[in-house]
Amino acid sequence: MATDFWASSHYKRWIVDRATLKQARADDLVYVSEPECLEFLAIYFANIISKLGKKLGFRQRVIATATVFFRRFYLKNSYCETDPYLVLSACCYVAAKAEESPVHIKNVVAESRALFSQEQYNVKHFPSDNSKLAEMEFYLVDDLECDLIVFHPYRTLLALCNKDFGNSNSSSDSPAEEAEAGELGTGIGADDGPRYWGTGQGQLELSEGGLQTAWFIINDTYRSELCLIYPPHLIAVTAIYLTLVLHTPTQNSIAHLLPYSPAFNSDSSNSGEPSQTTPHPRRSSRTSDSSSKHANQQDPIDFLANLNVSLSAIATIAQEIISMYSLWNRYREDVTAEEMRNMNANANMEPEKSSPERFCIRRHYL
Amino acid sequence: MRIYRAKRDASHVYVKSKYNILGFISSGTYGRVYKAEDASGNLHAIKKFKPDKEGDVVTYTGISQSAIREIALNREISHENIVSLKEVILEDKSIYMVFDYAEHDFLQLIHHHSQTLRCTISTAVLKSLTYQLLNGLVYLHSAHILHRDLKPANILITSNGQVKIGDLGLARLSAQPLQPLFAGDKVVVTIWYRAPELLLGAKHYNNSIDCWAVACVLAELASLRPIFKGEEAKLDSKKNVPFQRDQLLKIFEVLGSPTEKDWPSVTHLPEYPSLKRLDPYPNRLYDWCQSRLRSQAGYDLLRMLFIYDPDRRLSAREALVHPWFLEDPLPKANAFASVASNQIPPHRRITQDDAPSMSMTIPLQPGQSGNAANAPGPPFPQSQQVLSGSSQQAQAQAKSGHSHHTGTSGSLGDAGGPTVYGPQGHGQVHGTTKLRKKPRLG
Ligand SMILES: Nc1ncnc2c1ncn2[C@@H]1O[C@H](COP(=O)(O)OP(=O)(O)O)[C@@H](O)[C@H]1O
Ligand SMILES: [Mg+2]
Repeated sequence: MATDFWASSHYKRWIVDRATLKQARADDLVYVSEPECLEFLAIYFANIISKLGKKLGFRQRVIATATVFFRRFYLKNSYCETDPYLVLSACCYVAAKAEESPVHIKNVVAESRALFSQEQYNVKHFPSDNSKLAEMEFYLVDDLECDLIVFHPYRTLLALCNKDFGNSNSSSDSPAEEAEAGELGTGIGADDGPRYWGTGQGQLELSEGGLQTAWFIINDTYRSELCLIYPPHLIAVTAIYLTLVLHTPTQNSIAHLLPYSPAFNSDSSNSGEPSQTTPHPRRSSRTSDSSSKHANQQDPIDFLANLNVSLSAIATIAQEIISMYSLWNRYREDVTAEEMRNMNANANMEPEKSSPERFCIRRHYL
Repeated sequence: MRIYRAKRDASHVYVKSKYNILGFISSGTYGRVYKAEDASGNLHAIKKFKPDKEGDVVTYTGISQSAIREIALNREISHENIVSLKEVILEDKSIYMVFDYAEHDFLQLIHHHSQTLRCTISTAVLKSLTYQLLNGLVYLHSAHILHRDLKPANILITSNGQVKIGDLGLARLSAQPLQPLFAGDKVVVTIWYRAPELLLGAKHYNNSIDCWAVACVLAELASLRPIFKGEEAKLDSKKNVPFQRDQLLKIFEVLGSPTEKDWPSVTHLPEYPSLKRLDPYPNRLYDWCQSRLRSQAGYDLLRMLFIYDPDRRLSAREALVHPWFLEDPLPKANAFASVASNQIPPHRRITQDDAPSMSMTIPLQPGQSGNAANAPGPPFPQSQQVLSGSSQQAQAQAKSGHSHHTGTSGSLGDAGGPTVYGPQGHGQVHGTTKLRKKPRLG
């Protein structure tokens, strides 16, 4: 990407703290039944961006960029004073250009109208006129302070897992690659690595399945505001960490490398391998006592320890990703859509701020 | 959205309230460039992207891919040899990019020497300019940015002799593209500066296309005329890119025909069969340099930047440490350090526009009225007909009968921006511009 992360607009202007996030939602808080609704709204809009992006044929990175634009916009604005559907549509339109895969404005308008008018969103007011979206684009780019180049965890993931397909311009040439798999093929400049994560020494061997899991975890992080709080390379490392912990096949394949067998592996193992319950000392070199099959496999603990990143930061992010999943379990799209409709109706009808209780709707749990 | 719009409009700072427009510099591919001064007297060049029109009505039609690129890339970079973007103002359906002002550019310098001084550019100046150009290019390339439109008109020089690479309107990131570079822009780089692999239809290319352009620019500084001044074969009605026979012949006449030994991958290029049908030429670059560069090391640098095989061509980083830069005269931070003041090219000529909107009226205070009709008018003239001036470049181009244009085509237009095919569709109308000479400013 342009320059390196530490010199980027992303790092210099768009990594914020929790207090800033809280402040940004202060106006909206008045209109929702409880603070958690705001987090549901974050999921809700990320889902819609993802849906719209897929309809427009976007690659995952374009969807991610659109989502980051949306989050950045709402650092400065409130849902209740704006039309988030128009905003997210404009985010998609700009993201496509920023990621050098432009789509025609009339397609964005048409797909947005078709999607938003579906029953679950029931948005009838989306303008049919291209110029309305283009006007929103203008305001959006201005609010984004013209910072349109966004860093994402995907490329750190690919670089760390040795999926270096070279600086290949032909990554998307092959029609055989399906959307997500094709994404994995996007190259990373060989010289890109070390300055992001330090030594650049070891690279982790993740199976395709493990890589996919990490990739999907990264996709999921965009449903939260993590992309505004943490540098993307930390999110990537956390996704790898969670993959090592949660992805069962990956778990099994690295079990013999670990000093202790993780507890949850011993009772869930149907792989036929004996579960290791005896702690054994960490080895500094594995080449002598590993089976040849695993000879060049990187010890994941070594790997994580050798990265030039703060492991306590990784632990915090892991915690936040898990909370996000737990929140997501409780999320109900219809309820949140309703909440959004109420918010806009109330915000636009009453100039005075209303008391939170008035619009309280019942909590829905799974 | 009403509340949002009102808030935003109320806090908007208008171009005219911040900058005093001194005059018009140039009309280019994507818009017009003005000279302006801020409250503390600093000079700026303001590039205004053409707003799109539907009939006579200016409407929002979407920001062009070119503007998005130029804005996005400029926001990320900062280097002494790259023109620096001070701010971007989005106002009244137009985009204004405010750059630090650069008094000269390579094209103007070349023209000054060929037309006014009638002597070559001294080796000291030539070498300093080339060195700084490469220095800026190393920065761009290390940031994974391909410039894709290096040519004399896009390389600026400040009044204290510092090179500033400008015009990132065709530039883009080369790292991890989601689509092949070719898919975005069928034609890149103005034809005279276009690398042979592009002329032969390569779908994949890299930094080395910029290095080729640098070599062309260096040769042009040395000889005061484009080294490969070919005729561009135009896109056909189906927008297919034709074989650029004339441009290739111009290159072969100096560098000789490429051989498979020099350039093994040439056989895979789409236009290779057409290439095979051309007559063979011997390499006479050495002779070309004898009378023009007068330095063995200078010749060697040019030779290495003109290597046909993009993989073997000298990179900007390698070029920067070439022995030519270690021999006398050494490159200077002020390229004009050794130049007598009366030899330095004149200030950029600016012209005034007759359009009434050009007069510097004080805009209404923003937020005074929510009514869009009361908003300040466009700070710059909208009408192209009243254009009464042209840049010095345009004059130079008019005289030479050529315009330095960039052909851009392909999916750019799909993004809602202007689609530009060659010089017909835009820009300097040489024949009809009447020049009104104004005393030089500054
Ligand atoms: N920063 C600047 N200072 C002075 N003149 C400039 C500056 N930037 C551009 N110009 C002038 O305007 C011309 C057109 O600007 P450029 O950025 O190249 O736009 P275009 O895309 O239209 O070619 C340049 O060739 C140069 O003469
Ligand atoms: Mg230009």
